Amino acid sequence: MYTRGPVVVMELPEQLNKAGVRFFMEELQPLLETDRPCVVLDCSQIQHLDSAGVEMLLNCLGEAMKRDGDLKLAAVSPASAVILELMRVDRLFEVFETADEGVRSFQIFAPAANVQSQPWYAAGGGLAELKIAS
Amino acid sequence: VQLGAVVAIDARSVTSSDAAGKQSHVMLAEPLECVDVVGRSLVERMIEHFVAIDAVVSVLVEAGTSLPASFLPVAQKNVTIEVVSDLGSAITYKLDDYARQGIEYSFINWANAYAETDLLDLFCFHREARQTVTRTFDKEGPLSLCVVDCANAQSTSLGELSGDAESNGSSKYFIREYVARLAHPRDLRQLATDILRGRCQTGPSGRQIRSGIWIDERAEIHRRARLVAPAYIGRGSKVKADALVTRFSSIERDCCIDCGTVIEDSSILPNTSIGIWLDLCHGVASANKLLNLERDVVVEISDPSIMRSNADVRQSVVIVSERGEEPKKAADSDLRAPRQIADTWRFGDTLIQE
Repeated sequence: MYTRGPVVVMELPEQLNKAGVRFFMEELQPLLETDRPCVVLDCSQIQHLDSAGVEMLLNCLGEAMKRDGDLKLAAVSPASAVILELMRVDRLFEVFETADEGVRSFQIFAPAANVQSQPWYAAGGGLAELKIAS
Repeated sequence: VQLGAVVAIDARSVTSSDAAGKQSHVMLAEPLECVDVVGRSLVERMIEHFVAIDAVVSVLVEAGTSLPASFLPVAQKNVTIEVVSDLGSAITYKLDDYARQGIEYSFINWANAYAETDLLDLFCFHREARQTVTRTFDKEGPLSLCVVDCANAQSTSLGELSGDAESNGSSKYFIREYVARLAHPRDLRQLATDILRGRCQTGPSGRQIRSGIWIDERAEIHRRARLVAPAYIGRGSKVKADALVTRFSSIERDCCIDCGTVIEDSSILPNTSIGIWLDLCHGVASANKLLNLERDVVVEISDPSIMRSNADVRQSVVIVSERGEEPKKAADSDLRAPRQIADTWRFGDTLIQE
């Protein structure tokens, strides 16, 4: 486990089954109980993923969302991706090729920097202003 | 040098094949270029490009074109909209008008294609080429953007201006930057995906609240809803509890995604309500019509609890008194009351469920 600013990166164990989940959650649970937890789970080591592992991912995501945080996945192997897709949970997560990309995605944007300027049509007018030209 | 620009919008509705692939359905009443894509229509984005180079912009809309209500209120310096009965003669008239105002050169853009080229570079190329018309091309062929000499354009045919005809008196400018052609609703989806992926310069409207999530004004997202980046939620739209918006999906203005519904790799066009606990993937939804991009069919759903137009509900619900009093518009509370459920679902024109 390591941190980059507010983001915590954790490597998931090789065996993400019932036993592996219990051990892993002891470490992860306190992190999820902080305010706005930002967690990237590095899936590169996963060799075995079963329903207990998927349930853990969903529970962790739910916990993070409850506290206005987020949980993202990185380096998901093709085999794990198939399982996540099969269980239709892949679309719930943002998935990145590397943990670093996942960390960067947590970058908070300054709200003012991205505000779209007033749309060009917003100044008023309407059908009455349209005129028949020909 | 003062530049002009003419953006032409012709009257045509958007049709799609039915399940048999033969007949066509009206998927959208308005032209694709006037439909919002990630917050703004293609026409708006085009006009912004022209306004950015201080061009005087005239938008010519062919009479009979159905425009979204949000498109109509137009007023900006140097931008005028005119409804015309014949686009060809209106363009010629407009170029003549520009010439009399002292505007020597004008861009002409049929609004069904969008190109992110450097307009000033295109203009300089045209001036150096010393031709009446400079037409643009990309790797897929001619584009409907050109530059003309206003004074000499009278003698040029509409076909040459629109890029449909070859001409000896024109030069060619190749565009290597991003180009989008809108010919089918699936092109709207492609454009939305490209914008959300950042493949083009034009961006989503609204505010990026976190990486890849854009939220526009007055949008409401329930605390328990999940947005997976990149995604866009448009002006005044509501995403209710336990809904999931994921994989480059865009929810345009004044839509409602009801509880538990999943929107995946889809575009929900303005004023569309999607009911509860549905799973909408790889599609474009508009009012009660759903285009499935994988199967390339349009499904018209007559059950308003599944899909409906918000605009239709507000405009069409009229309460008529049994005592013969004047009809009155429904109040908000009336609109919330359950409406009569339509008898059938329709799949194209074929009845599939009673």
